[in-house]
Amino acid sequence: MLKQKSGDKKQASPLIRKRRRKAVYVWLNVQPEDIWLRVRHSDTIRRALRGGDIKLEGDCGGLGKCGKCKVKILSLADEPTEDERELLDDAELEQGIRLACRTKMSHDLVISVGEPTTEPEYFQVLTTSHGISSRYIPESELEPLVNKKLITLPPEAQDKGPSDLDQIKLALGDEYHNLMASLHCLRTLPQGLRESRYHGTAVLHGDSLIDWQNWEEVHRHYGLVFDIGTSTLVGKLFNLGDGSEVAVAYCLNSQNKYGSDVISRLQYIKERPRGLQILQYLLVRDLNQLTAHLLQTAELEANDIFIAVVAGNTTMQHLLLNLPPLGIAEAPFLPVVTDGLVIKSGDVGLKLHPEARLYTMPVKSGYIGGDLISDILTSGVAEQKEIILGLDLGTNGEIFLGNSKRLLTCSAAAGPALEGARISDGMIAKAGAIEGVRLEDGQLQYQVIGNIRPRGICGSGLVDLVAVLLHCGIINHEGTVRRSRRKSAGELNSRVIKRRAAGYRFLVASSEESHDQKPIYLTQRDVREVQLAKGAIAAGIKTLIDQLGIEAKDINRVYLAGALGNYVDPISAMRIGLLPRINPDIVRSLGNAASSGASMALLSKKHWQMARDLVDFIEHIELSYRPDFNEYFIEHMDFPTKNMW
Amino acid sequence: MSDLKALIEAVIKGDISTATAETQHAVGTGHNAQDILDKGLIAAMDEVGERFSKGQIFVPQMLRSAKTMQECMKALEPFFQEGSITSKGKVIIGTVKGDLHDIGKNLVSMMMEGAGFTMFDLGVDASPERFVQKAQEIEPDIVAMSALLSTTMPSMRLTIEALKEASLRDKVKVMIGGAPVTEKYAREIEADCYAPDAGSAVSKAKEILGIS
Repeated sequence: MLKQKSGDKKQASPLIRKRRRKAVYVWLNVQPEDIWLRVRHSDTIRRALRGGDIKLEGDCGGLGKCGKCKVKILSLADEPTEDERELLDDAELEQGIRLACRTKMSHDLVISVGEPTTEPEYFQVLTTSHGISSRYIPESELEPLVNKKLITLPPEAQDKGPSDLDQIKLALGDEYHNLMASLHCLRTLPQGLRESRYHGTAVLHGDSLIDWQNWEEVHRHYGLVFDIGTSTLVGKLFNLGDGSEVAVAYCLNSQNKYGSDVISRLQYIKERPRGLQILQYLLVRDLNQLTAHLLQTAELEANDIFIAVVAGNTTMQHLLLNLPPLGIAEAPFLPVVTDGLVIKSGDVGLKLHPEARLYTMPVKSGYIGGDLISDILTSGVAEQKEIILGLDLGTNGEIFLGNSKRLLTCSAAAGPALEGARISDGMIAKAGAIEGVRLEDGQLQYQVIGNIRPRGICGSGLVDLVAVLLHCGIINHEGTVRRSRRKSAGELNSRVIKRRAAGYRFLVASSEESHDQKPIYLTQRDVREVQLAKGAIAAGIKTLIDQLGIEAKDINRVYLAGALGNYVDPISAMRIGLLPRINPDIVRSLGNAASSGASMALLSKKHWQMARDLVDFIEHIELSYRPDFNEYFIEHMDFPTKNMW
Repeated sequence: MSDLKALIEAVIKGDISTATAETQHAVGTGHNAQDILDKGLIAAMDEVGERFSKGQIFVPQMLRSAKTMQECMKALEPFFQEGSITSKGKVIIGTVKGDLHDIGKNLVSMMMEGAGFTMFDLGVDASPERFVQKAQEIEPDIVAMSALLSTTMPSMRLTIEALKEASLRDKVKVMIGGAPVTEKYAREIEADCYAPDAGSAVSKAKEILGIS
């Protein structure tokens, strides 16, 4: 009735009408945690859950394409939408399972979003790179971006010097005759000097005195490194006195609920006036939490930290700095800035010492970010005669190839398939993910993270699985799934199941074998996604090989970085054609190279400078403008015909 | 027409030499050029499109068939010129502004060409102005747009608006596609149709023009 009344006044000013229109709210009850959310009528469930900060699966950022944001409607469910009919099977629809991004709240609903998260989920993240030893640079090169010096101001100087700061200058010697000091430092300096009895610790950043501390503090010298990945954030705490790694912490990037890849985040920013602020806020909140965990382990306080170095892809670095990133979203993919920046960490909201500095790694272009620069720094390729191929395999496959004479990079849009996204039973590398597959006596043997029954397949498992099925002919070189006539297929043929229109699919684990009593399949469409992903990367490699004027056999070493890069089996990767056929012994994992490179910069000014020089040295090949890349891409969508074993 | 069977098979397989020989043979044995095209080449490409939509074949195989078809068309070229073969319609195709993805758009273009449409390819990063300009120049039946990034999808809306502004929107059908594009988005920006893949693009195009 109320609506009707306001309708009568349609002639009145639209402004008044708008003000009088009352928003209608409905209630959403979320099980199993029994959370009540007040939701605007007609909002989607996804939007409501996001507003309530409730985690939800999904890769496509709410476009209704990935079919992963499943929720179960426990109250009366409405008829499914077209998209839901397409993406969910009949049994699921029957049980009231719907997609959160497609279901609008037209009345109160009770939904379930899966099992309660009683125990923290275990995510597989690499924490150190050089094996047991966590040393990133030789001790002789240790020269952190911030240093501490123990200084005694002799009593005679105390009266002679024209000012407190001049006395410190004198004590520091000629090297520091240009010493400046921050306002914050100067304000507390007289008191600090008195309390330390003129024998204390100068905290120095370049030519700048940023704090004066008691003499004992000279040994409490710590710094932070953050690897800000699109999906995972890693934080490391370093002792800058000896260069050792003290603690590592990691968490999922809270921005994930706004889409799992960079493009969906950019899309979100494009659509929402405050999108950038929201994403920046979430990122800084995560980084502050990581910091709190790291400091706790070493019994430190935020005030003890004067320096942090950040590495991430270009978009993530823009998000942290609150820089408008939309230029990266479209050709010609221009970032706001490529230089490595030095800012006050407080300017982005990081809770460290008020004078703490934050360094962001230099980037080369919109899709060659600080993470790849860090990889290159870690690999040492720019100082070697040997030809090194480096791959950071994530949503974008970033590739570098060359040596100290010439170094090329490119970024191939592989899509998220190799991270388990857009694969029907794909998942990220966490408990329950099949991470490895072997063929033993005609039987498939799975390695599952957390040693539980499988729930899905992650990137490395997917590469193995496709390699095994290629080996026994269940997938042919054109990527078609079918029953095989080869002997090696053996019993596996019985797992090849025909579907009405969509061809065959392969039963990876039956409902009895799986964790969730739901069968795990590899579908024809999944294989196509793998073909696209590996085709893009292989074509990127081939383009660089051509550009450098070498052949695959001239490559002396291959370094793999990124979550997939560190776990993928090189032989499987070659079997599916992700890597060119080379000697598998020259393939090495670079570990979490993004944080290693940033750590090297933190610990040594020389390496920070090297990172900056790298940006000028490397040549970036923009694949989108290369017709030869497109040809190679199509060519490399097929699988190699030859078996590896 | 049973002897076009070998031709159809060769096109599906992407066997260029056999297919061109079969085309020559069909011309030599007095087949009507329109029949060779419709019941031979186009029938073959229909099958290829269908297999692609079902996932039975993939991009390289489809491209090979499309290339085979193009080679066979060369043998029929003289008949085009004397006007005994008619075009199904004129289509402007391009990847929208800000987007450099070429392959999907090329696949659609080749499949439509294979189905008897006359294609005008604007390439990638095609601005609304270029679509409008080309449309004014050639008066197409269909304007087809591709976008592979969710961030460049809005360029499709802008292009449609530009067509409206140039009073061309009523004169053409608009077709859109690309990985992030959905049926719903097509409705939202008032495109006439959405084609989920290169295989179905042809049948969708025929559908909106009301031809079989």
